[in-house]
Amino acid sequence: MRTLVWLLVVGLFALLSIVLSQLGALDPFKNVALTVTSPLERGLRRAASPAADFLDNTAKRQDLEGENRLLRQQIEELTAEIASLKESQSTAADLAGLAEIEKGRPDDRFLVARVIARDPSNLKERLAIDRGSNDGVAEGMVVMSQGQSVVGVISKVLDDFAWVTLITDPNSNVNAMVLESRAQGVVSGSLHSGLSMDLSPQDAKVEPGNTVATSGLGGNLPQALLIGQVAAVRGEPQDLFKEAEVEPAASLSRLENVLVLTSFVATHLTSP
Amino acid sequence: MRYFLFVPLILFVVLAQVATASYFPLMGVAANPLLVVLMCWAIVRGPKETMVLIPLAGIFKDLISSDPVGTSVLALLPIVPLAAMRERWPTESDFLPTLAVVAMASLCYHLLYMMVLTAVGDGPPWLQSPTRVLLPAALFNALLTPIFYLPVRWATSLSEMVRPRMRVLG
Repeated sequence: MRTLVWLLVVGLFALLSIVLSQLGALDPFKNVALTVTSPLERGLRRAASPAADFLDNTAKRQDLEGENRLLRQQIEELTAEIASLKESQSTAADLAGLAEIEKGRPDDRFLVARVIARDPSNLKERLAIDRGSNDGVAEGMVVMSQGQSVVGVISKVLDDFAWVTLITDPNSNVNAMVLESRAQGVVSGSLHSGLSMDLSPQDAKVEPGNTVATSGLGGNLPQALLIGQVAAVRGEPQDLFKEAEVEPAASLSRLENVLVLTSFVATHLTSP
Repeated sequence: MRYFLFVPLILFVVLAQVATASYFPLMGVAANPLLVVLMCWAIVRGPKETMVLIPLAGIFKDLISSDPVGTSVLALLPIVPLAAMRERWPTESDFLPTLAVVAMASLCYHLLYMMVLTAVGDGPPWLQSPTRVLLPAALFNALLTPIFYLPVRWATSLSEMVRPRMRVLG
């Protein structure tokens, strides 16, 4: 009987807390909790990082791992550069109209933020950064890696912190295009199986190694931000759409610092 | 042994989980040490103490993660009835049933968690979840059980040995 009463009382308390939390009434408490715990979390992560690296690379030597990280960063930066060049070339050659859009877009402004926590849930891919509304961060802003590829979008803002929904989150959908063929599709996250690009027409030319970037459709993200590279193309010829596995350019599991693109404001299109 | 002396330890487990669990995935999922500790605690020491620890630990976890506050409290609730059920059917060894109960608690945790996320409009893909999250997480948490079960059992045995002596001395 006592257990039943406890379950009812605590259950109702939890439900009430969830409602209050959704209304934002508990955000100041979250802000305080993150302020207090973020240095401790950072210390714990730093302490656990070598063990995690060791487990990740049991077969590899330490120097190989460092080299790998450096090369990965270089690849990301070069791929971002290639993506930018391809986009510029294509824009100049085929889409003169885009120049007007480019002119209309202000110069990109970034805010450097430190990753202070990662959501431990198995069902979400989120991380917390040490910048919040007091720093000018707002929901919908784009977050990029140091190599300037897309990391995710700000989904929740507190006074001094913000939660970023990564592009690999199961609820993340980004309008994207393959730069080589201009084939468009939607890059979606999933539960532990990385990114996939779907809804591309079956006749679209999508090949492993192709560069995937944001298409800018929908207005949620700017155009031509690097997402990653096509790792494999799946599906059968009779399928309605072509599906491709996309390898994110940024190493999303080990981000330490990110850039918040503060100059881009997402537009929310309504149906005509 | 005053169990509330262990509240900082439980809060540290929460902090360590939030900070580092994603660094050590198995089968693509992260472990839930908080759930395992509380389940072991409830089985070894009875569910009464976990009735206090669950709200404390759950609220703390939600405050430092992106979940709405209350989600973890709700998801951890099944620990108490599961421990109570376990008490009603005693077996010779506690260990193997504990593994099963931890796996069951893990399944319940994720189901309730997914329900809350769906209710607040942040729902995960339900069809993929059983094979990609629920079952691997249940297995991972069960595998993690000995790491927490043995210290809780050892601490409890030690306190039971110390308590009568202290009474005699007092």
